[in-house]
Amino acid sequence: MNTIKTGLLTTLLLACLCMLQAVQAESPIAIDAAWIREAPPATSVLAAYMTINNASETDQQITGMDSPDFRSAEIHRTVVEDGVAKMLPVSGLDVAAGGSVSLEPGGLHVMLFDPQRPLREGDTATLVVHTASGAAISVQATVVRKTGDDAGHDHAHHHH
Amino acid sequence: MKPAQILIGVIIATLAVTAGFWAAQAVLKDRAPRHDLSATRFPVARDIQPFELIDHHSAAFDQDALQQHWSFVFFGYTYCPDVCPTTLSVLNGVAQRLQDVDADVRFVMVTVDPERDTPERLAEYVTYFNGDFLGVTGSDAGLTQLTRQLGILYNRVEPEDGAAGYLIDHTAGVFLFDPDGRYHAVFTPPLSADRLAGDFRKMLQDYQ
Ligand SMILES: [Cu+2]
Repeated sequence: MNTIKTGLLTTLLLACLCMLQAVQAESPIAIDAAWIREAPPATSVLAAYMTINNASETDQQITGMDSPDFRSAEIHRTVVEDGVAKMLPVSGLDVAAGGSVSLEPGGLHVMLFDPQRPLREGDTATLVVHTASGAAISVQATVVRKTGDDAGHDHAHHHH
Repeated sequence: MKPAQILIGVIIATLAVTAGFWAAQAVLKDRAPRHDLSATRFPVARDIQPFELIDHHSAAFDQDALQQHWSFVFFGYTYCPDVCPTTLSVLNGVAQRLQDVDADVRFVMVTVDPERDTPERLAEYVTYFNGDFLGVTGSDAGLTQLTRQLGILYNRVEPEDGAAGYLIDHTAGVFLFDPDGRYHAVFTPPLSADRLAGDFRKMLQDYQ
């Protein structure tokens, strides 16, 4: 009895592993550390950040994102020109072979419009990343409250 | 020399000495340039001309509201999901780092989107970052009165799809006002709490 159970479990596990591999083979793009900045009260526009890794030997391009949890999503780049901050839409985000691109506060971000449900700290939302090769990678992004009281963890440290 | 001529001479000499004294005072008040500041500090802080805005309690916020305390002032809007929350988080980090200083330091966000940013909305927004932060809004005319003298630019950008609501390009610096209500210094991006707090301590030392 026990042997049959173990055998079944092993088969199931193997099947799962095979499926996982199949999904990974579909796109060389992997998303790391996806998070959404918790919106202050009364705001309906949010931003998501993440690291996009390209493990393959060919350049990849991210063509856009969407989300079932938001009315719409757009990739933007914040640029500061002559002291003026602007957000420019990014239609194709290149991720070089073997490289990665970081979306982080004050730079590249995913602009998320109108959450379809309340999203508070600790909640997760689904983001779908589309590539030029036609892959759609689904990512779970955690909502994080960031208000800067975590003294000492100053991201701008790295910029000098 | 007649006594009258002597008297005139004495008066002229006295005036000259007084003028010299005042000139020296003015020069002394000009803070020596420091090379360890990342902020841009004016040799002589600039006077602010009258302007009329309101804070998130719907109380008047004008040039007098900048008197008797230091103010870090940021210009932004609540529909801004990246730069504005990031800057307010940095300012909260500055507030945490300056808790021990012997000075009254305040933090203000002035909206460049008075059409959408009502006092109520700003109240909820700024206090999410820090309960002591103050939001300021008002009429377009009132906003222009202040932004023009600080050289602040803001420009509404209509969205391509028409549904998402407009964005606003805006000056992303942080403006520092001293307890005389004068424009003292400006911090330009990239902003960091360590840098702002460190620079402020030096400027406070020079000011006292
Ligand atoms: Cu954006």
